[in-house]
Amino acid sequence: MPQNEHIELFQKRYGRRLDYYEKKRKKEAREPHKRSAVAKKLIGLKAKLYAKKRHSEKITMKKTIQQHSERTNKHKVEEEAAPGAIPAYLLDREQTSRAKVLSNTIKQKRKEKAGKWEVPLPKVRPIAEDEMFRVMRSGKRQKKSWKRMITKATFVGPGFTRKPPKYERFIRPSGLRFTKAHITHPELKCTFQLDILGVKKNPNGPMYSSLGVLTKGTVIEVNVSELGLVTPGGKVVWGKYAQITNNPENDGCVNGVLLV
Amino acid sequence: MQYNFKKITTVPTAKDFIDVVLSRTQRQTPTVVHRGYAITRIRQFYMRKVKYTQTSWNEKLSKILEDFPRVDDIHPFYSDLLNVLYDKDHYKLALGQLNTAKNIIDKIAKDYVKLLKYGDSLYRCKQLKRAALGRMCTIMKKHAASLAYLEQVRQHMSRLPSIDPNTRTILVCGYPNVGKSSFMNKVTRADVEVQPYAFTTKSIYVGHTDYKYLRWQVLDTPGILDRPLEERNTIEMQSITAMAHLRAVVLYIVDASEQCGYTIKQQADLFHSIKPLFANKPLVIAVNKVDVRKLEDLKPEDAALIAGMRAAVRGPAALTLGEEEELPCMSTLSEEGVMEVKRVCCDKLLAARVEQKLASRRAGEVLNRLHVAQPKPRDNISRPAVIPHSVAINKAKKASGELKIVTEKMLQEENGGAGVYNADLRKNYLLDNDDWKYDIMPEIYNGKNVADFIDPEIDERLAELEREEEELEAKFQEDKAAAEMEMEPDLDDEEKELLGQVRARRAKLVSEHRRKKSVANNVPTMRRDRTSDPERRLTTTRMKESLGAMGIDTTLAVARARSASAVREGRKRSRSLAGNGGDEDVDAMDADGEEKPRVHSSKSRSVSVARRTSKSKGAGLRDESEKMRAQKLADKAQRKMNKRAKTGEADRVIITKMPKHLFSGKRGNGKTDRR
Repeated sequence: MPQNEHIELFQKRYGRRLDYYEKKRKKEAREPHKRSAVAKKLIGLKAKLYAKKRHSEKITMKKTIQQHSERTNKHKVEEEAAPGAIPAYLLDREQTSRAKVLSNTIKQKRKEKAGKWEVPLPKVRPIAEDEMFRVMRSGKRQKKSWKRMITKATFVGPGFTRKPPKYERFIRPSGLRFTKAHITHPELKCTFQLDILGVKKNPNGPMYSSLGVLTKGTVIEVNVSELGLVTPGGKVVWGKYAQITNNPENDGCVNGVLLV
Repeated sequence: MQYNFKKITTVPTAKDFIDVVLSRTQRQTPTVVHRGYAITRIRQFYMRKVKYTQTSWNEKLSKILEDFPRVDDIHPFYSDLLNVLYDKDHYKLALGQLNTAKNIIDKIAKDYVKLLKYGDSLYRCKQLKRAALGRMCTIMKKHAASLAYLEQVRQHMSRLPSIDPNTRTILVCGYPNVGKSSFMNKVTRADVEVQPYAFTTKSIYVGHTDYKYLRWQVLDTPGILDRPLEERNTIEMQSITAMAHLRAVVLYIVDASEQCGYTIKQQADLFHSIKPLFANKPLVIAVNKVDVRKLEDLKPEDAALIAGMRAAVRGPAALTLGEEEELPCMSTLSEEGVMEVKRVCCDKLLAARVEQKLASRRAGEVLNRLHVAQPKPRDNISRPAVIPHSVAINKAKKASGELKIVTEKMLQEENGGAGVYNADLRKNYLLDNDDWKYDIMPEIYNGKNVADFIDPEIDERLAELEREEEELEAKFQEDKAAAEMEMEPDLDDEEKELLGQVRARRAKLVSEHRRKKSVANNVPTMRRDRTSDPERRLTTTRMKESLGAMGIDTTLAVARARSASAVREGRKRSRSLAGNGGDEDVDAMDADGEEKPRVHSSKSRSVSVARRTSKSKGAGLRDESEKMRAQKLADKAQRKMNKRAKTGEADRVIITKMPKHLFSGKRGNGKTDRR
């Protein structure tokens, strides 16, 4: 015991006060009432948070109670058959039939034919032009309106140089430019921050693809060299496609899924 | 420098931290925004939220980083102690993580404020704000473990005893259970726990004691075992830290009785193994529990071991204080020799500190400036201090007990004690003549001797005066009664009656006059209208009666009064009496100096009712002509103004076109004349 723990020292020397345990018991008994009083009094966000907290507390409480009761319960030990298990007499049979293989290959081919772009987000909300662009006024009297500013996040290549401002039709504001994306590998179930290499296709139209607009559903190419993916041939893959799954202009970051 | 770790603010848990910061943002920034607002206003609204959250994170994290001491900056004793107790690496890592978190939060805020500048709708701005705050909170959530660790460290640190590493310190060490804490309890008021088992003391305790009017710090360390440094546990390491870093006198306690469970051999071995820590420090070896076994009763080999330890103390490494190195023995049970041990320790440390100070460069600077002059004896004549003869005699008498000084206190005790005895202050007065001591001194007040104004017989004189006054009073009363008796009235009954009448009438008149005066509001002149005559007493009938009683013919007077009575307004036109001509009235009119009423020449036309004109002709001026003159002057003054068509004082004018109080501020309901 360190020197300055006076309360503990006192208790060690002289014990607790005589009504300590009674008080403690009463306090504990009073606790649910107090809690309910608080719950009744709270309003708004605080009430929501409190309710959520209590909810999770109750769940854990019930679970622990259940666990303890399970300990006393008697269960028959059940061993479930593992998926794909076969009886002993079938062990040396060939597993897959030829027909199955064939049908699989056909299916695969059909799939490939149907569309090379089988993507996680097959449909996206079309974005109107006036949502995508803001008209900028130019000219001495501010009456020319052929300039457009893109209001969505964009990707601009590293070597990009602006046109002279007098002739620049589309302005991609530097504040909305992104060079990195958080890409989730669907099989590994983990996320990496990867460099964007380019915009492959924007579902809203080829113009947006060429402008490098990043909206939800856009397919981008990302640099996966850090992941160490290898082609069946044994070469290291460094560019791979990914689809954007969020609205970058609303979230301030680009999230996507790797297309494998 | 003081080491006080009690003032570190609490480190909240990650969840609380997030709640605190977010609710603070909610409370301290505006909460109402509408879609219809100008987009700049919406952006500004959300930017403010992001920035505010960032600053509150920054503030709180900086406070934490600032409060916790940096291990490298504090005294090596404390830095080692922190290392032993909390693991320096862990500590540094936790603080470092908070620092990075702070920087990342700053960066996030910067990025999102930048993005918010391009927000073109309320929805987008709101989403961006949400994302920003969410990311900040996520980062802090990741550091929940380091926050919890820091809170524990803070709580422990706040309870560390406040040890000053630079002051005079006695460091008590030895094997467990040899009586270190008992010594501490005897010497200081620390009230350390003492139990008959090893490792009762698990951390360093501090107590304070006085010696030579100085404050000494006594450190009670946990017991240490004889084993290599790597195997020592945290409890032992604390004592090692203290021994290694504090410039103190080390008091190594040896249990001679071996009741602690360790033989003297083991204790000697430990001493020799930790000896390197005592280099350059004064060291005292004390033998404890001599009440159980005396030093003389020891076996010869044990005595030799103790002697060996003493020899090591006296060795070249340790500082020596006098050659007769004593071996202090004590018994903390019977308190025998405890103070002796303390004395030895303190003396040694004082000497060592003085020596160190002398050796330092600073001391040299001071010494260079000091010079103690020692006069050289010029001849062999001795010149002792001069002591007056009487003083010498008194001294001798006092020494022999012949002369006793009676103090006031003694007198007081003899004469009834405090509160009863009244000290005689006069006896010590220094006067030319001792007889004057108890003389009565005049009391002077306002430049006058008070005694001059004291008459001892004043009560008697007052009584005499009063008696005289009463006599005079009685005499006066008697005289008065006699005079009244003499003034017996010589009026007969008739005269008396008349006198009574006169008096009654006079009283009546006075009362009447007073009544009237009060009715007319105490106006000095009486008004001739009904207010002064509410009872209608001033009538012609009464006048006739009263004047007739005095023998005066009243017809004329009555007629005149009638004619002068007020004409009722709104009287219908009737035949004028003017034409008849009031011949009888002429005299009376003339007497009044009134104008003659105009008489129309034509009898066919009745006289028109004349406009009533005020009787005052001058209207405040002396007379008509003066009035005319004033009028003319006013006209003349106005003429020029009129000619030039200038605004005169009669023209309508608006002085302030827009009075401030009617046009400033908003106009709410019913706010037309004051805003």
